[in-house]
Amino acid sequence: MIEFKNLSLTYPNGTKGLKNINIKINEGEFVVIVGLSGAGKSTFIRSINRLVTPTEGDLLVDGENILKHNGKSLRELRKKVGMIFQNYNLVKRSTVLKNVISGRLGYTGTLKSILNMYSKEDMNMAYENLKRVNIEEKLYSRADELSGGQQQRVSIARVLTQKPNVILADEPVASLDPPTSHQVMTYLRQINKEDKITTIVNLHFIDMAMEYADRIIGMRAGEVVYDGPVSEVTEKTFEEIYGRSIREEDMRGGAADDE
Amino acid sequence: MTNQIPPKPKKQSTFVKRMLIAIVLIAIYTWTIASAQARIDWGKIFSIRTVENFDRIIPKFFDPAFAETGTIMEKMIETIFIAYTGSLAAAVIAVPIAFLCASNIVRNKFLNNVGLWILGAVRAFPEIILAIIFVAAVGPNPFAGVLAIAIGSTGMLGKLYSEVIEGIDMHVVEALEASGANKTQIFFYGIMPQVLPEFLSYAIYRFEIDVRASSVLGIVGAGGIGTLITFAYLNRNWEEVGMILLAIIVVVTIIDQISGYIRRRLV
Repeated sequence: MIEFKNLSLTYPNGTKGLKNINIKINEGEFVVIVGLSGAGKSTFIRSINRLVTPTEGDLLVDGENILKHNGKSLRELRKKVGMIFQNYNLVKRSTVLKNVISGRLGYTGTLKSILNMYSKEDMNMAYENLKRVNIEEKLYSRADELSGGQQQRVSIARVLTQKPNVILADEPVASLDPPTSHQVMTYLRQINKEDKITTIVNLHFIDMAMEYADRIIGMRAGEVVYDGPVSEVTEKTFEEIYGRSIREEDMRGGAADDE
Repeated sequence: MTNQIPPKPKKQSTFVKRMLIAIVLIAIYTWTIASAQARIDWGKIFSIRTVENFDRIIPKFFDPAFAETGTIMEKMIETIFIAYTGSLAAAVIAVPIAFLCASNIVRNKFLNNVGLWILGAVRAFPEIILAIIFVAAVGPNPFAGVLAIAIGSTGMLGKLYSEVIEGIDMHVVEALEASGANKTQIFFYGIMPQVLPEFLSYAIYRFEIDVRASSVLGIVGAGGIGTLITFAYLNRNWEEVGMILLAIIVVVTIIDQISGYIRRRLV
């Protein structure tokens, strides 16, 4: 469970990233955070694995206040909170396998990882996870030979290899075309349901949020302005979150392709 | 023509500025040519004696002493070894200094500057001066040449390496950080794969330069083919100088070609 208690974040230049957030995210939920760019979605998500550090309040992950973590305990936190990025952030010159196995780094001793001495189970797990996102045939390809959607699937395999309890996804489909976006979201959704991994996704496409989320959190100017199950969300809710009427560009379009 | 692009705005000062630049340029040229005219004895340069000297020496260059090929090639190989050992050492020494200089890795302006000062100071010395220093320190042998090349190349490689490091994709580092990897693991998984091909490429390029540089080191006694040049020149043995030059040209060209090929494949 992830719990935000009166959480605020002020950047060194005085900008308020988050303003007094109080929210509970339960285990196994698929939460989509929506809001315009600059609304604080990224800051929200990055607080949970401490890529940014909130300045006030408490943030509990599985009962522990993670704001006090540093060094070893911070790495322990990051082992169980995996992350997916907009630009995939794979090592482009390394093979797909090497990128995926790097999800095990937190579990592997420094020397062993440098010498590439991974256990058979770890290697098998990496391969199984590539199979789950249907990209196992690219095992030995260099990451930069893959298309955007394929790279994002590799990054999903990498995060799965980490065996996380929570997956954070920061605009995972913003650089992809509509069909590929739906494919990636479908995988995330499927993993969330099958493995009971709490998944928190930043999106700014309304239709995608509606299609995949269990729960929607709306943010504007660093504040949570909406929080509720997807069944209660209407177009009007989004207009309130965005503070303006809904436009064409807020929709990703394209139907989900069932795979 | 209604859709003409608007004219570039003209500044009042432009014309005056250009006139000033023109006047200064004319003044500099006049001064240079006038003083050269006053001091250089053109008659001496284009005298019969100069022409005769050229006539005597130049043809000998084109009649290289092939009989000396054995000794010359032996020294040429020594030259290549000096360059190779020197640039290999530099390729390694430059890595830690480059990381010290890279502002995205070491987030401390002072330490970055310390690194840059070290590299700057090293680069200020031409190889031949370094060679003189090391000949004095370790004696007139190829080892002095290796040291001169190693130190001289570190300055340039360190600077180039640090620019490569500053250009890496830090998002990859962030992703690894977010997966719980420690600093050493991030270095080997996130940073090294991004910089290694470029490091190698620059090291090979520097080796190319070092082969040329080490050809002259022998002139101050630091080993390699330069020694032969000095002897041959002192003995007015122009056929041998011609042969040495030929050997240098051939070897340097071959190495340039090979290194160019490898570098294209690397990145």
